[in-house]
Amino acid sequence: MKNFSFVNVENKADALEVLHREKEKSCLVAGATNVMPFIRYEKINDKTLINIRNLQELRFIREEEDKIEIGPLTTIYDLENSEIIEKYAPALREAAQDFADPTTRNSATIGGNIANASPAADTATPLLALNAVVVAESKSGVRKIPIQEFFLGVNKTALQCDELITVIEVPKNAANSNSCFIKLGLRNAMAISVVSVAAGVELAEGKVAHANVALGSVAPTPVRAKTVEAALVGKEFTPGLVEETAKLVTEDISPIDDVRASGEYRKTVAAVLVKRALKKSGKI
Amino acid sequence: MTKHEIEITVNGRKRRLTVKPNDLLLNVIREDLVLTGTKYGCGIGECAACTVLMEGKPVLACMILAVAAHGKNITTIEGLADGDKLVPVQQAFIDHGAIQCGFCTPGMVLTSHALLNENPDPSEEEIRDYLRGNYCRCTGYTAIVKAVQSCAKKNQ
Repeated sequence: MKNFSFVNVENKADALEVLHREKEKSCLVAGATNVMPFIRYEKINDKTLINIRNLQELRFIREEEDKIEIGPLTTIYDLENSEIIEKYAPALREAAQDFADPTTRNSATIGGNIANASPAADTATPLLALNAVVVAESKSGVRKIPIQEFFLGVNKTALQCDELITVIEVPKNAANSNSCFIKLGLRNAMAISVVSVAAGVELAEGKVAHANVALGSVAPTPVRAKTVEAALVGKEFTPGLVEETAKLVTEDISPIDDVRASGEYRKTVAAVLVKRALKKSGKI
Repeated sequence: MTKHEIEITVNGRKRRLTVKPNDLLLNVIREDLVLTGTKYGCGIGECAACTVLMEGKPVLACMILAVAAHGKNITTIEGLADGDKLVPVQQAFIDHGAIQCGFCTPGMVLTSHALLNENPDPSEEEIRDYLRGNYCRCTGYTAIVKAVQSCAKKNQ
């Protein structure tokens, strides 16, 4: 293991202060389930680990009038067991249920899962389909980053080095309340997804009013299936339509060959998972 | 690397330790505290042989820096029984022969114990789902699941 130093912080103000001081050397760590393998593989060197695991003020799930607010320190276990998440963001709950295993879910946090920006992050795909907003704070102020602009590449996000995620907002709407998540992994437990899909559909008089579809592990970042979405909106929601539009997902993704699956396989299976997720969300 | 003073409560006993920032909680438990019931398996959070209870919840000791465990309450397999009095799931593992090589057993027992605390009446499916990260390479899963099932309320 290479060299790093460790600072423990107990509240948000201290965290922002240390981030401001350490700047590029900062490496926030909460559940540590991503950071520990990085330490082991010596990807972390000459960094200051800032332990925010005990920042209880950022561990919450709240219901507001038009949105729900999730604190970044919320564990995957909390997501799995929240009635608010179950009601307004079921895709996120299903992702939590598929996440690693219960021991990891007790440590891993939603903030860490997205800040690490793995294309396979289990909560990233649903948050993208749910049109979430990431609220980031630094000593110089607060800004809101739409999730579509948050992921820039593998392990790269729009966060500045002195910024801390303070809230993840999810709008309350019918498409989000109908949302669902499907993950294909090589085994049930501890699996990194081969492909994951989250979808939320809102119907009005049998026609598609809104369709949100996102995929993970098929590009350098989680992606929205814009071609699929465009082909759905305004049409009558039938199995035939879903069957046809799901195939268009290959336009939206650029999967690579890796140890888990080939790009070709991912393309084939992505279309199948999109079809299943749309049917599940639209209840047909 | 600067060393840190930490205080952790392990199996009810307060321990003051000096650790390096990169010391794993797992290694501190095994080497400094000589509690070798907690096993070092994969070291990358895939096998759950290193499961301990932190504030009553099962976590992986290979995924936690010792320095980040400061102030926490930890139970290892050595601290589960009250003297010679085993907790029900420990006795059930013995009664059902749910142990072969024994390497996964501490993690299996602690995770099962946490499950039963959280959900005293789990179904077979719930047991399999909760234990899904705990590897047993002898594949004694059937006996393990039966042992946990025997502790469910409805089977008492």
